[in-house]
Formats: sequence, C-alpha cells, structure tokens
Amino acid sequence: MSDVETLWAAMATVADWRLLVVIAASAAYGLAVGSIPGLTATMAVALLVPLTFYLNDVQAIAAIVTTVTCSIFAGDLPATLVRIPGTPASAAYANDAYALTRQGKHQLALGTSLLFSVLGGLFGTLVLCLAAPALARLATRFTSYEYFWLYVLGLSCAVIVSSESRLRGALALWIGLLLSAVGLGTDFAQPRLTFGFDELISGINFIPAMIGLFGMSEVLRNVSRQKLAEADALQLASDSKQSSVFHSVLPLAWRRKWTLLRSSVIGSLVGMLPGAGADIASWIAYAVSKRFSKTPQDYGNGSVEGIGDATGANNAALGGAWIPALVFGIPGDSVTAIAVGVLLMKNITPGPGIFDATENPQQAVLVVSIYLVFVLANLVLLPFGWWAIRGGSLLIQIPRRILLPLIVMFCIVGSYAMSGSYFDVWVMLLMGVLGFVLERFQVPLGPIVLGLIMGAPLEHRFLQCLTASTDMTSFFSRPIALALVLLLALLWLAPLLSIKRGNPSATE
Amino acid sequence: MNRLGILLLAGLLAIAGGCRRESVYPSRPITMICPWAAGGGTDRVSRRLAMHLEQELGVPVSVVNATGGKGVTGHNRGLIARPDGYTLTMMTFELNTMHWMGLTELSYRDSQPLVSVNEDYAALLVASDAPWKSVSELEQEVRSRVESGDKKLTASGTAAGGAWHLALAGWLDNAGLAADDVVWIPSEGANPSLQQLMSGGVSMVCCSLPEARSLLEAGEVRALGVMSPTRAVGFEDVSTFIEQGRDWTLGGWRGLGVPKNTPARVTEPLIAALQRIVSQPAVDGSFAEFMEQQKFDHTWRAPDQFQEFLAENDRKLGALLQSEAMKSITVNRFSPMAFPSALLILIAITLVGIFLTAWYCKNSNGEVVPNSIPDPQPSDQEGTADSLHTVISFGVIVLAVAAYALLAEPVGFLITAACVVFLLLLWLGTRWLPAAGIVAVFVPGLYFVFDFVLRVPLPRGWLG
Repeated sequence: MSDVETLWAAMATVADWRLLVVIAASAAYGLAVGSIPGLTATMAVALLVPLTFYLNDVQAIAAIVTTVTCSIFAGDLPATLVRIPGTPASAAYANDAYALTRQGKHQLALGTSLLFSVLGGLFGTLVLCLAAPALARLATRFTSYEYFWLYVLGLSCAVIVSSESRLRGALALWIGLLLSAVGLGTDFAQPRLTFGFDELISGINFIPAMIGLFGMSEVLRNVSRQKLAEADALQLASDSKQSSVFHSVLPLAWRRKWTLLRSSVIGSLVGMLPGAGADIASWIAYAVSKRFSKTPQDYGNGSVEGIGDATGANNAALGGAWIPALVFGIPGDSVTAIAVGVLLMKNITPGPGIFDATENPQQAVLVVSIYLVFVLANLVLLPFGWWAIRGGSLLIQIPRRILLPLIVMFCIVGSYAMSGSYFDVWVMLLMGVLGFVLERFQVPLGPIVLGLIMGAPLEHRFLQCLTASTDMTSFFSRPIALALVLLLALLWLAPLLSIKRGNPSATE
Repeated sequence: MNRLGILLLAGLLAIAGGCRRESVYPSRPITMICPWAAGGGTDRVSRRLAMHLEQELGVPVSVVNATGGKGVTGHNRGLIARPDGYTLTMMTFELNTMHWMGLTELSYRDSQPLVSVNEDYAALLVASDAPWKSVSELEQEVRSRVESGDKKLTASGTAAGGAWHLALAGWLDNAGLAADDVVWIPSEGANPSLQQLMSGGVSMVCCSLPEARSLLEAGEVRALGVMSPTRAVGFEDVSTFIEQGRDWTLGGWRGLGVPKNTPARVTEPLIAALQRIVSQPAVDGSFAEFMEQQKFDHTWRAPDQFQEFLAENDRKLGALLQSEAMKSITVNRFSPMAFPSALLILIAITLVGIFLTAWYCKNSNGEVVPNSIPDPQPSDQEGTADSLHTVISFGVIVLAVAAYALLAEPVGFLITAACVVFLLLLWLGTRWLPAAGIVAVFVPGLYFVFDFVLRVPLPRGWLG
C-alpha cells in the first residue's frame, strides 16, 4: 500500500458521521470539564475510559484527543475570568490574562488564547506526523542528567520572568520547592515534614494548592477591598467596547507568526519528553518570549504576546507527548498513558512497527487516521471555543457580591473533587491566605506552583544522578546535557549582554 | 416573591424525599478507592471492574484516585472507611510491604478480602544490545564485578522498596549475592525506568512483562526471565527463573477488599457479583477479555483463597524486608532533610537580599520600592488598607471555608453548601430573597454536575 492510498483510506475512516459526532460531543464535554476549576484534562480523560469500551479504535482515540485539546484550552477560561488556572500550564500566564480581564479586555485575552492554542496544536500535529520516529529516538537519549538540567532550565524561566523582581521570584520558587518536599518521596523510605499529619504523607496536592494560591487569594483580596460595586462598574464600562472575539486577534497572530513558530517548536520538543510536558513547555516559551520581546515590562501585567506564546507552546506539547507513546509505548503524560491503554485494548501495540505502511497496512491507516483526528480536534476547538468564550464572558457580568460566594464554593468543591479529601480543602484555604499575604509583598505566585510540581522530579533526578555517578563531571559530559547547560547559561547571562547594548528595561 | 419561596421549599422537599435511606444493599452509589494515579495499570483495572460491577449491582460505582505516599493514602482511606460496603478498595501488593517498612500500621488484617483479580510477576529485562542472554550470565557479571571491585551494575523499575525492587533483591539473595550488589536507582515507575534502560542510564530493569510489552515486541529490550511459577500467558517464549535454576517467584497482585467487620448482608451480594464478573469466559466484552487484551494476567481467587494468599505473601515479604541485606539498602545514602534544609537556607538568603535591596534603594533614591514595576491599578493598593472591614471580611471568608470543611461530612454537601453560600451572599450585600433563589439554583446544580455527570461523590450527610 502506498502512502497516498494509506492517506485516502485514513480519510475514508475519518469521514464517518459517527466519528464526527464523537468529536463534537467530546469537544463540548472537554470544554465543560476543563472550565471547572480543579478538574484537570487527565481527570476528564479518565472519566471517558469506560465509554471508550463501546467505541472503535479511531473513535476512542478521537474522543481522548478532542477532550484533552478542548479541556486544556478551557483551563484558560477560569484563569482569565476569575484567576483560577485550570491547568498548571495556564499558571504561567494567569496573571497576564486576568490583568486583561480587569482592563475589560477578556475577549482579547481569550481570543488570543484560543487562536494560538489552535495554531500551536496544529503545529504539534505536524511535528507528530513528519518526525515522530526520529524525535522519539532523540527522546530516548535523555538520561537523568538531561532531565535534571531540563528541570533547572524550566525553573530558572519561572524566576527570570518574574515581573516584580528576580529576588521575589526566587523566593516564590524556593517556597514552592519546599512545599513539594513534604511527604514521602520516591527516593526515601520515611516521610518528612509531615508534622504528625497522616494526610501529609502523600504530600501537598498541587490542584488544591493552585486553586488556593490563585482563586482563593483573589477572593480574599476582593472582599478586603471595600468598593466591590466600583470594580464592577469599571469592568462593565470597558467591556461594552469589545464586540468580536477574533477582531483584533487575527492580525496579532499574523504579526507574531515567527514567535508562534518558535513557541510551537519549544512546545513540541519539551512535550515529547516523558515526564516534562506542557507545564514546563509553557513556562519556557513564556520566558523566551519575554527575553526577546520589545516590551518585556508588559509581561505579567496583561501581555497578549506572552499569553499567545505560552498557550501556543502548551498545545503544541500535547501532540509532542504522543511521540514516545506511539513509537515506543512509553507514555509522555498520564493522558497518553490512558490512550496507550485504550490502544492495547483495541489490540494495537504501539511500537516502531505501526509506522511501517508496507508491513502493517491496517496499522499505518490507523496512525494516519490518528493524525487526521488531531487536526480535526484542533479545528473543532475554534467554533466550540468561541461559544465557550461567549458563554463564559457572561460570568463577568454577574456583580461581584454574587460571584464571589459562588467562586468560594467552586474553590471548595474543586479542591475536594480530585481525591475526595477534606484535607485538600484545608490546604486550599491555607494556600489562599499564603497567596494573599505574598501578593501584598509583591511576591509572584506562578513560581510557587511550578516549584510545587517540579520539586519532586528535580530532587529525584538529582539523587538519581548522584547515585549513578562517581564524580561531578558526569553532569556535563553528555552532549545533550552540555547543550542544556549552555542554554541555561545563555538564559541567565543574556541580561548582562543587554546592559552593554544599553537596554535598561531588561535588567530590572 | 411568594411563588419563589414556595418553589424553593418544594425543591428542598423533593431532594429530601428522593434521598431517603433504604436498607437493601446496594441502594446508593458505591465508591471504589484506587490508591494509584489515573491512567496507570491499577486505575485501568479498577475502572473496568467498576463498569462491570455497575451492571451487576444496578447502582453507579465511581472510581476515586486517592494517590500518594506509595499507596498508604488510598489503602488507609479505603480500609478505615465506614464498613457499610459503599467504599471498596482496589488493594495492591504494597498493602503487604508498607507496614513492614514502618509507613503505616495498616496491614491486610484490617481488610476483609473479597476477590483478587490479577497477579503479574516480575521479569528481568536488559537492553537488546546488552551481552547477557540468561539469568546466570547476568549473575556471573554481578559476581565478577563484586570480586574485582569494579563499578556495580545498576537496576531500576520502581521506587525504593517497591514490588520490583524486592523481586530483584530476592533473586540476588537466592543466588547467594547481597541485595546491594546491584545498585537500585529509584524511579517513578516502569515507564521512566524502561526509558532509562534504552538511554543507557541503567543496566537492567525489573518490572512486569505487560509493562514492557511494546518495547519487547519492537525488539528494543530483552527479557532474561520471569519470576512466576509457570510461563506467563502471552509471553510463552520467556522462560521462568525456576526453569533457569533459581527457585524464586514474586509478583504484584490486585484485589478488591472492604473494611474489616463489614456485615455478611453486604459482602455476600458483592462477592457473588464479583465472582460472576471474573469467572466469565474471555469473550464478548467480558472482564477476562479486557484483561487479556491489556495483557494483564487474570488469575482470580475466591475470598478464602485470597485471604490465605495474602497471609502467605505477607510472611514472604516480611522475611525479605527484615533481612540484613534489605535493611542496608533501604537506609538512604542521602539525608531526606538535605533538600528542604538547602531550601530554607536559600529562603533566608533571598529574604535578606530583598530587604537589603529595598533598604539600599530607599537610601539612594528616597523611594520606597523602586525595583518593582508600578502597579497598573493603584486603587488596589489604596483599598487594601488594614481597616477593620478588611480584617472582618477576610475572617468571614476563612471561617466560611473552615465551616464547610468541618461540617460537610456529617451534615452533607447540600445543606452545608447552601448555608455557606447563602450567608456569604447576605454578608456581601445581596438581599435574602434573591440570595435564596441563587442558592436554590446553584447548589443543587453543582451537586448534580459533580455527583451525576462527573461521578465525584459528594457527601450526603443527613439526607442519607
């Protein structure tokens, strides 16, 4: 079977009305789940698993891919409208998006996020189609050393992008890392820093922590301000000026086509590494975007450029995560882990063999169908996301004295939902107070979330390196590790270079 | 206005009426606790089993992933729950190791085993370009390295003290070697370990055969042997350790349990349903067919055999975990407090740095915080003055959340949430009738979305 025949066969598979119904239903479902704070894309997919038993292979994959694509975007809705990031990836630009909302430009923020998500997602799909086997080979060359440096790189980005000050960004990062050290890690037989609470043995769950840090602290900040009605009036007045979601976004996308390409490349590359994924990709893309921006002072205060670049990278990473999953059956994240399970259930074993059109014509058709499903999932996001933005924007028009109690309830239920534990509600509350206090002292909250997520893998990889090596040179002796170290040095030393060029804004 | 009040009352009565307690088991949704993350093997098995149980019992069965602490969290939550049969636990291998490792008091004795559904045995894998073709060749390599003092071989597969680590240690012990003659590199699971094996980060991986299936079929890794009594179904070309002269078997297992002292009135229909599910032939979408497709073993044991198996498995693991060799390797080479201590020092240094910068700038420029970008909304800063109102509002919100966390379990979600939202609305200046209307729509709506659509069980409390 030739490539063209395979493509035709795959298109025939995809052009089935039942499949299109599955895609549309999954899109609506993914948007609904993703927009509820505390419910992640992973959870949306896990809830889908029993349903996939009744679908055929392409339909099952389509349901998963569409649900993830849509729920990752939907995570931006609460991030923008009420500053509760739906996913850790949205935490990188939650402040930017929310700042735009407070200026009455939430349509612009969400429109950017939607369009750049779709474009990033399509780029990620393209990479998946064209280079999956070769890139998967590269991904398998990553040992603990490379992962260690990658995590350091991601964490550095969180500090570098801190708009208030580097020192405060660093402080936030240390706090996040410290919180991540609580509980029983992979490397130790005894739990630490639990202070006698049995619940802390499993560590601090990042979902309630994130809801507390961003959502709850925002509620606390709002009620501590006396004039709720005035804030509403300001927002509504400027809101009426905005009419179309895409009106100003399309020219923006055209202007930033090259930076979008850069972010998408970052997203695909980071996304394909098992255990790194969309969260780091979005931070790195955001930092790179700020570093090369002409207006770095806007970042953190409502920069559409930052939102677009980070969200593009984050959706490109989704396609990247499928690369090792399809080529070696090593899932890049929990979503692809579920997808690999579904493939196995349909008697398809992921592996290099499934790309071989001459040996396995059936499987080659399936693989191409999966690519097409990715394209469809991203395209269907456009209309559905547009409706979601229109619907979600109504939320802003609710007066705050009514909205705030409802947000409090969402924070509570959202933090409870993940593992059904009241302890998580307490964690959410404490993090809310912590977030409130830290913001008073202008400490950014994003790096805390990143530290909380990356702390455990960072320490784990570092100890793995130490266990496996005899001297410190092995941290630098592998070529990819060295490249990452050089990249890291470049990122940190770039401001020194820009001082010489006489660009004071980048030095802070 | 009055009509609204009546509607509200009617709605509440309908909710109360619909939730009346009944004594026939099962009369309401069942929660199945999975101690491991969504998407993993245990999660997939749990969700599939929940689907079949739902068909058999006629009530929703939702899976809750209570993860973390190497399985301690989930097992504790599930086995200390009220023994009413509405909380089932997907128990795994770790139930028999965590109490030997001093992580918890909980052991299999706190459970009432129902039916076990799966036993997957450990296998030893090396990269396809590795020189060793059999278990004994690998043993020789380990032994010669110990004798010559060369760098030891490394192995991975799971966290320190996990199932596959114990399997490896048991094999070394059986071969007359010490458990630390191969350096165990802890990892988060089979997938990252296999990736390390391919990148040359470790010399061997110990995990179950289904976990390595894709790489085995692609010829990227080679299985030297499997630690099962007989060859594994679906992997008939992998010989057992027993065939290769090592009398050693160890595997992970999964099975459903309920808390001890669950009445027979509840366990009997559960066991009957479970036995019907697991004993069906592997055709037409049955549980066995699912397990075969996923290449999970689907050996199952009835309650009595499961109980015996648990006791025997626990003894075997206790002996292994309390041996001198194992003790020496579960003691960490690195202090667990090193990382947090380093961070505390960094926090202190950074704080000093922040104060010094602020002080320096204040002295040199006469401004307060010049290193920050001007706030785009100065009104924010003015409004957050520490007035009495600020402090009280802050306290009210904190108290509301705390009240929910304390009262929701005994009183139930609907009543607690309605009170919390209603009082907060009043506090922030909504009049009571519109507030009641909002509560009447929002709270049951939220309950419906989470409980019925998303299958997240919210507490029922007084409404049964």
